[in-house]
Parts: sequence; structure tokens; C-alpha cells
Amino acid sequence: MTVTTTPTSPAAPQITPELASPSAGALSRGLFSALPYAVLFLFTVPILLLYGWLAFSSFFTRMEGLRPAGPFTLENWRFLWAPETVEQLNNKPPIIPLTINTLVFSLATAAVVLLISSMAGYALSRLYFPGRRMFLGSVLLLHSFPSVTLLIATFMVLRQLGLYDQLLGVILVKAAFELPLGIWIMKGFFDTIPWELEMAALVDGAGRITTWWRIVMPLVRPGLLALGLLAFVSGWNEFLLPFVFMPSGSQATLSILMQALLGEGRFVDYGLVTAVGLYYVLPVLLLFLFAQDQLMKIYGGGVKG
Amino acid sequence: MDVRFEKLTRRFGAVTAVDALDLEIRDGELVALLGPSGCGKTTTLLMTAGIYRPTSGAIYFGRRRVDHLLPRDRGIGMVFQNYALYPHMTVEENIGFPLELRRGVSRDERARRVRSAAERVKVDMLLARRPAQLSGGQQQRVALARALVKEPDILLLDEPLSNLDARLRHTMRAEIKRLQKDLSITSIFVTHDQLEALTMADRIALMTDGKLAAYGTPDDLYERPESRFVAEFIGNPPMNFLDAEVARADGQVVARNAEMQVPLANGLADRLSLNGAPRKVVLGIRPEHLTIGPTEPANARGDVYMVEPMGREQVVDVRIGDHSLQAIVPAAQSLRVGEPVGLAFDPTKLHLFDPAAGQRLG
Repeated sequence: MTVTTTPTSPAAPQITPELASPSAGALSRGLFSALPYAVLFLFTVPILLLYGWLAFSSFFTRMEGLRPAGPFTLENWRFLWAPETVEQLNNKPPIIPLTINTLVFSLATAAVVLLISSMAGYALSRLYFPGRRMFLGSVLLLHSFPSVTLLIATFMVLRQLGLYDQLLGVILVKAAFELPLGIWIMKGFFDTIPWELEMAALVDGAGRITTWWRIVMPLVRPGLLALGLLAFVSGWNEFLLPFVFMPSGSQATLSILMQALLGEGRFVDYGLVTAVGLYYVLPVLLLFLFAQDQLMKIYGGGVKG
Repeated sequence: MDVRFEKLTRRFGAVTAVDALDLEIRDGELVALLGPSGCGKTTTLLMTAGIYRPTSGAIYFGRRRVDHLLPRDRGIGMVFQNYALYPHMTVEENIGFPLELRRGVSRDERARRVRSAAERVKVDMLLARRPAQLSGGQQQRVALARALVKEPDILLLDEPLSNLDARLRHTMRAEIKRLQKDLSITSIFVTHDQLEALTMADRIALMTDGKLAAYGTPDDLYERPESRFVAEFIGNPPMNFLDAEVARADGQVVARNAEMQVPLANGLADRLSLNGAPRKVVLGIRPEHLTIGPTEPANARGDVYMVEPMGREQVVDVRIGDHSLQAIVPAAQSLRVGEPVGLAFDPTKLHLFDPAAGQRLG
């Protein structure tokens, strides 16, 4: 008699050895494990369709509903290699510097968020100073504040600081809006690090800063990665703040270009819009694809010892 | 290096965790801080390590007062209850971490000292592993190596064996004691397990409510407990206690109550200073100093209530009146539940305590 193993499709979840009985019930188990996939698929279809439409319509001259109607073409993408021939882009900054701006904006936002969240989160997790609870509460309140309501006040602050119409100013504002969530997430991660580890480091001869940097920070790395990714993506997608606080457009980002292409004049070239749109979301999609494991950890709640 | 606590006190808000503790530990001694949970033993250890600051009082290592110093300036090594190995570092990096933080230790010297510390506790074949890949016993050894690698003057151990299974606990008990004697390093360990304290320590400091209840060798504490609390805490199964009175009867001094009568040894009777009137006492006797035999002659009579075989011996509950006494008897002695038996008290092994204050009498 030969032992047969049930074939598992690559998408099927791994069944843990304790649950797997060698012979009976393979079929019902297969159905059972397929069920969540079916449900998830049902809910994902509309989103997938939208992405599909976006991709298709950028490569065809014309779309009729969800079906491409014209011949296949790369015309819509010529903004990449021959931007001067695209009429809609004539009075706009070139796309490559815009991309670099967006990248700088997102990376800098993520860096500021990471730095401040990890220090504030550590202090809130470990030090018992007066007003700590109130601080935590008000940080949370800030998080639930719609940023639009703060635009005018922020504008005045930026003007005072001389940071209005500058990328640096927008970076600081964006980071500030991201911080409440970041601080709470990092505090959560620091809370999972046992005190004993820090005591051990102190006995081993480390000071407080060394302990934070050498022992605690490496252990919250999943949190840092996830938070960094979130902040980066949030910066990449940000439209309102660069739009409002950098009116001259000298350091504009891709989201502003998107808005300009969509909202200008009566005629909208959807071929071009979808091509630029795809170009705009692609980095984020790739990032999610490669980093989803890290992002999942943000809800997993830190490290195991 | 000898260690001395002077009026060491630590308060957390309204709670006094350690209350004016005076203690002296001699050079090379292994001392157990023993006590029920919440008695302040771990707080005392953490103050010795420099992680908690004392509210008042002083700690001396030798002639040097250390209570204001940072942990790293005290020359201590410490093993934590959960070992507190750094999960993101290999065993080698873990053991080497204290040396890495110290200036003037070259890379080569560090590698050499890490290896020798690892060899001493037999983890030298695990240097490339991470803590998560080690068993509990191995983690314990690595933690020991990390504590010892910087050649500290004093070794502190917080519940070092509580996370190990029974068999491993037994081996590690012997190994830690052996290691401590080989290095003749002054050591303090915290435990709530009286057996651990009895088997490992040179002297036991028994604490309760932040105060020192007794301080002495395991033999002292076992043979001549200073108070009822000490007698109760040390020894397993615990000592039996009976309310009794000491009086003269038939030309002898006896301890007696409605159910039993035991003659006191001469020395003990003399020390009790009876002035004719009977005196109320609490009589204590350890289970191994009771023998079970025929109902006549006997110091007390009762029924076998329960028998727990332990292999080499058996623990027998004997019901006398409305309470029961535990006795340890040889496994060979056959006893049936419900059988009437007599109990003989070893008169040289009686402990008498004051019923109100609980201190030892005589």
C-alpha cells in the first residue's frame, strides 16, 4: 500500500500537522479551506476590475465599458519618453522631477515619523511622568481630527516660520498629521518588550540610550518597518497638503499632476490619465506586494522573545 | 567581596516593600533571600543590582558604598528569572555584550573570554544559535555565562530555577552551587522555594513583609527556628503545630492538651522557667519526628485519615480530635485508612513557641 498525500494547490493554506489526518475527510477539508478564499474573492472582484480597467485603458486607444475597443497602443505612455509631444503636459513641470519630489516627500515624511514616533513611543511606554495619560489621550484625539479643519491655522504657522510654499514645510505638516497613529503604534510595540531585557542591559553596562538603541530598537524592527511603510504610502498618496501649501508648484508632487490632468478644461484624455495614474500607483502596489508580511505585523503586536 | 545592607528601605507609594533591612553577607558566601511572594526579596535584589534606588539606607560592597552607583559601576553580574537573553543576538553576542560595552577589551580578548565563559557552563557548542533555538536549561546557562563573563565581584540570581522543569531544576541546583564554590564569588539568590534555599545556600535570609524574619544556616533555620513563621515556612511537609500548655505532672514537666501529653526534655523544661503555674504554648513537631505505632503506649491517639505514598517513605495524616498531624513513616509500614493508631513524639525534637508573639521559647 502506498501512502498518498493530498495534493494542495499553491493557494491553499498550509494545514498544520496536528489537524491533518492522513486519509479521511480530505475533500470536505479542501472545501472548507476554499470557503474563505471564495468569500474574499467575491469582495475583491470589484477592486480587481477597477485595476484591470486602469491597466487596459492605458494600453488601448478607446474603451467601451470594461472592454477595450480600439487597437493596442503605447501612445498613452509617451509622456515617459516624449513628454514634449503631450499637449496636456505643456504647461506643467516634467514628470521625472515630479516623481523625485514625491519620493523625497514620502521618504522624508516616513523618516520624521519614524524618528519621533520611536522616541515618543518609548518614553510613553517606559517613563511614568506626570500627565502621561492625558498626553496619550490627547494624542489620540489629534488622530481623529480631520486635517482639513486645521488648514488655516497650519497655513499661518507655516507663514510665520517661513516654510510656506516649501517642500520642507509640507513634510513637517504631513509628518505631524501622521504622528499620533505612529506614536500609538510604536508605544504598543515597546509595551511588548519585557522590562527584564532592559534591566539586563543596564546590568551589563549599557546606559539608557545604548539600551534603547542596541536592545529595544532592534526588537521593534517589525513595527518600524510597518510604520515606515504606512507613512511612506500615506505621503505618496497625499494630495491636499502639497496642493494647499505649495501653490507655486515648483516642488509639486504627482498627486497634483493627477488632479491637474483630471480637472482641467472640458476634455479629459482618459488614456493619458490612466497611464499616468498607473504610473503613479505602481510603486505603491509593488511596495505592498513585497512588504505585506511586514505590514501584517503591525496588527500582530510586536515581537516574540 | 562582602556585602552589607544598613537600614535598607524601599517604598513604592504607600507600600513599604523593604523595611529597614540589615544584613551582612560574607565574602564567597551563597546567600538565599527566601520568602513568600511580596515579601520584598526581589526588590532587595534589584536594589543591590542598582536597578531600584533605595528610599533610604545604604548598601556596601566591601568598604565601598554603592547605593548611589549605576549598575555598570557596581561590578555585578545578574541572572534574571526569565533569563532576559537578547532575542536578536546570537549566544556569542549575548555573552559578549557586557564586554563589548566595556572600553579596553579588544575583539580578540572578547572572543577568548566569551569562549571560556561558555565552556564553563557547557554552551560552547551553541555559540552561533539564537536564544529562541535553545531549551530552557540552555538559556539559563547562557544567562549565567553572560553574568560571569565580566568577572563580577558579586553574582545576583533572581529565581534562577523557577522556569525549569523538576529534573533540570535538580541538576542546575547542583551546578550553580558548584560553579559558585569554584569561583568563590559572593552570590545572592532570590527564591520562594524553601527546598532550593535549604539545598543551595550557605545562609538563608528569610523575609516577610519587607523585614528579616531569620538569618542563619539552613541547619539553624531547620533545627532551631526562631519563630513560628520560620518553622512554618521551612520544611516540607510543614511542621505540625498544636496548642498546648506546659505544666508539671507526675514529677515531670510535660506539654499537654486534651488529646496528647509529651514529657519535655530536661534542658527545655529548665529553660521555660515555670513558676508553678501552667503556661500556654504552641508546640511544633516536624513530620519526620513523629512515629506511628500501637495506641498504647503513645503520646497521642488518633485515626489514619490519609496515606500518601512517596516511594521511599509515606506521608500519613492522622486525625486527632478536630485537627490532623502529618507524619513521615517508612514505606514498609502498612497502614489502613481509618485504623486507630498511636503517635510517639521525639522529645528531643520539640519546638515551643509563644502563642501570641510566635517567638521561640527556651
